Amino acid sequence: MFKTQVMEINMGPQHPSTHGVLRLKLGLDGENVKSCYPIIGYLHRGVEKICENKAFFQGQVWTDRMDYCSAVSNNLGWAEALEKLFGIRVPRRARYLRTMLNELNRLNSHLVWLGTHAMDIGALSVFLYTWRDREKILDVFEAFCGSRLTTTAMRIGGLQEDVPEGFEKMVRDAFESVRIGIQEYETLLSENRIWLKRTVGIAKLSADDCLAYGVTGPILRAAGVAYDIRKAHPYAAYDEMKFEIPTRTEADTYARYLVRLEEMRQSIHIVEQCLEGLPEGPVMAKIPKTLKSEVGEVYHPTEAPKGEIGFYVVSEKGGVNPYRFHIRTPGFLNVQAIPLMLQDALVADVVTAVGTLDVVLGEIDR
Amino acid sequence: MSYVYDPKSAPNRKIEMPRTAPVPGLAAYAADMKATAAAEEAKWQKLCADYETAKAKAESEGKEPPKPPVRAASKSDAYEMQWPVPKESQDQDLRRLRELLGGHVEESFEQAGEIVCQVKKEAILDALTHCHQDAALRYEMLSDMTATHYPAGLGFAFSVVYHLTSVRRCKRLRLRILIPEKFEPESATQIYPAANWPEREVYDMLGIRFKKHPDMTRILCPEDWEGYPLRKEYPVVGLGQREINYREDRSGILQRKAMEAAGHFEINAKPLKAE
Amino acid sequence: MPEMTPVQTLLIAIIQIVLVIAFVFVVVPLTIFAERKVLGFVQQRLGSTRIAGKLRGITGLQNRFMWGMGRFPIIHYFRGLPGLVGDIVKLFIKEDIRPAKADRFVYLIAPCVSMIAAMLVYAMIGFYPGTLFTIPSFIPLIGGLPVGGTIADVNVGLLMLLGIASVGVYGIVLGAWASNSKYPLLGGLRSAAQMVSYEVPLTISMLTPVILAGSLNFNEMTRVTATGLSPWGVIPLFIGFFAYITCGFAESNRLPFDMPEAENELVAGYHTEYSGMRFGLFYLAEYINMSIVAALASAFFFGGPWLLPFGLQRFIPETAFWIGQPHWYIFAVKIVFFLFVYIWVRGSWPRYRYDQIMDVAWKYLIPMTLVNLVLAGIVRYFA
Repeated sequence: MFKTQVMEINMGPQHPSTHGVLRLKLGLDGENVKSCYPIIGYLHRGVEKICENKAFFQGQVWTDRMDYCSAVSNNLGWAEALEKLFGIRVPRRARYLRTMLNELNRLNSHLVWLGTHAMDIGALSVFLYTWRDREKILDVFEAFCGSRLTTTAMRIGGLQEDVPEGFEKMVRDAFESVRIGIQEYETLLSENRIWLKRTVGIAKLSADDCLAYGVTGPILRAAGVAYDIRKAHPYAAYDEMKFEIPTRTEADTYARYLVRLEEMRQSIHIVEQCLEGLPEGPVMAKIPKTLKSEVGEVYHPTEAPKGEIGFYVVSEKGGVNPYRFHIRTPGFLNVQAIPLMLQDALVADVVTAVGTLDVVLGEIDR
Repeated sequence: MSYVYDPKSAPNRKIEMPRTAPVPGLAAYAADMKATAAAEEAKWQKLCADYETAKAKAESEGKEPPKPPVRAASKSDAYEMQWPVPKESQDQDLRRLRELLGGHVEESFEQAGEIVCQVKKEAILDALTHCHQDAALRYEMLSDMTATHYPAGLGFAFSVVYHLTSVRRCKRLRLRILIPEKFEPESATQIYPAANWPEREVYDMLGIRFKKHPDMTRILCPEDWEGYPLRKEYPVVGLGQREINYREDRSGILQRKAMEAAGHFEINAKPLKAE
Repeated sequence: MPEMTPVQTLLIAIIQIVLVIAFVFVVVPLTIFAERKVLGFVQQRLGSTRIAGKLRGITGLQNRFMWGMGRFPIIHYFRGLPGLVGDIVKLFIKEDIRPAKADRFVYLIAPCVSMIAAMLVYAMIGFYPGTLFTIPSFIPLIGGLPVGGTIADVNVGLLMLLGIASVGVYGIVLGAWASNSKYPLLGGLRSAAQMVSYEVPLTISMLTPVILAGSLNFNEMTRVTATGLSPWGVIPLFIGFFAYITCGFAESNRLPFDMPEAENELVAGYHTEYSGMRFGLFYLAEYINMSIVAALASAFFFGGPWLLPFGLQRFIPETAFWIGQPHWYIFAVKIVFFLFVYIWVRGSWPRYRYDQIMDVAWKYLIPMTLVNLVLAGIVRYFA
């Protein structure tokens, strides 16, 4: 008498909470999600092809525009990959400043994530609070390189400029408000019953699944695997920093939230160490104006706020541009795992799952 | 419709195909070194010959003879950079892989602190299985996989690389295969499910199909896209428009006309099917 | 009171209706403005400060005028107020788009159903005890007649009110279904289940003052809860109020329970496909519902619109300044307070999930209100 039918619904590419143009083809039985098929590519700009046709140093502006919420860590990964390819030794001061900018950037990215994720779940005010704190960090970026989002902060061989005067005070002022801010988010969310109901046990992804699907970053650490490339394969000045890798074992959305909050505190800690131990010296290595490559191939992984970002560069003999330029972005492999996270989920959990992955489509589609 | 480039309508869009196949490795490096040394020597010889002729000319004319040439010092010493040379590696993982795979290993070396193992194209599934399951190796995670197009390669057209990570031992390994055109390697999804999307991306961008892949469709480009963008013969769109003075072309009409003349609007502009 | 002819009754009712509509259309935009400003205050930003427009044309004139007035500190705070006029004008002049495959008739009437149901409830609410004012005697036909504070002083006011209020859900469900689109359909499904579920505890919680007062008449009920209540009656009244305000949030689709239009999940829920004034009707209906819930909360649980809550009126001498006598501003203060709570909650809490909302209704609110009903009976019996 009655015929039931799975309703196929397209969440995205235009949808308020798919963070850009992610498209999820959902099969719904009422509110229950029966199937999920992520579709990407709506923001594909061909960054790899473009970088292959530009000189080595010209690729950086394209890395800015991949993950536009954390441009510095993209720049860092790009610069270090090419430095590894050319065997360039970066001055110690430049490495410290890079570490500092990278950690400021991690704070920035996590603040964006927290704001948007909380807004997906309905907590409107947290969004604006995080934006308030993020503004201070963006001011720091602006003071350093004149740009807020697309920083283009690195150069092959170091940094273009040293930090401006009063930079340290600016950073410390920003931290004061961010510290208070983090406390505020904790008061608003950590013990909020509705927040707990919406996040505890939702969008679980076990450690084995994480490893099998190449999921990295806070999601992997929230599943109990203390894997952080800053510790595993130290780059920049991370081998000289003292910090902890926050881990949880619950592997759910709430654990990821706690891990990211703790990472924000650790970032503040690292930046303060950098400020205290900042060595004197040049910020740029002596390198020729035009880089001409030999035959070589490197893959350089770094820890972006969203997970492992790796730059794979192949060079040819006498080339002035990369022969092959491939970017392993964290989001690309993380989004793969969305269908796994949506076992026995409701429509509202889809939004939570997308939010907890910290999806930025600019880096997924490249 | 496939990509046909008319050099008359878009002269600047002519594609320069690479003439060498820069697959990094010990043999390639040795050949490179030999070629570089030969080129240097030839250059030096030419300089000496030039000097001799110039000297003879100056003597005959009674002028002051030119300065004799000096061998230029290596440039890299002036800079803080040292090209990472591929070298033989004594890494225990590579040794173990050579033991397990035997004759299937074509080449294994270390460059810039990264260990690389090149295996025969038929043996990639074995290699991945060993890397994943062997107790001494245990690479739990496939970080990344991608491919490179070598149109000038001898006997191969693509190199496919797999970047494996051991989370427990904080170690990384690169597996590499060289495959000819139309060859379908085994899909790594059978061992590492993470390879699903990267393999789709490789198919989308370079046109390599993988055997036993669950869903071999395009991922970044639309389904009806033609051509494989990351192949070297694929043009960079926009090169045909360089003659336009953009100050005079605020409205973009000239650019549009140039693009129309170059046939840009015909690419992938099929009429939509009526529903 | 002199006996009125049917024509006179009708004319008086029309005057009252016009007054109520005027009241609603003043209160609702003010609520929207208050929402912007209070949310701005909660979120450490300015809220609305201007009309969304340039410095040209009518909006430009308004902006310039208000910025000029901004010298004065209080007006400075309200300088975004003309933006409301702009918003309403915008809603009226926007293109009214109808999806090609929508059910035309149902699609068109659904917002009206929502709006009518919301407005009808105001007919039963007593704005003022007794006579509001007397019509001047020089006006023919109705000169000298009193205009009451309630349009329809019905004996079974509560039943009628609940009946009409439950029609409101049809507007949402029909609009969602008629849009012939998937997101509105999901929103409609959610709203049907949610509104029907929350009607039950809402009704039961409203029975508490009914039992305490022993009457279904609106005016009688407010009189008893305001002045004739024993001190013990406060306990069931308060529990009932808690359940009521929770259900009120759910019934007016406000934030912790805004399932039907959860914009992060369902784009805009049931009104995704609506635009222009049809969307405006849904939008206004939501705010009217908010003010109704606020008005009813003050009427049922807080001593009626015009008296102090919890029988406090008995302890205040009648000569006391401002609060000794029934006054409209007591009503205003109560409504403003409840509307503020609405906005406050919206600024502080995340959203529930659909199944959790059902849990809240069926597992917590209904048992709680039932127990409370028994408690009210006991209080009524002994006190």
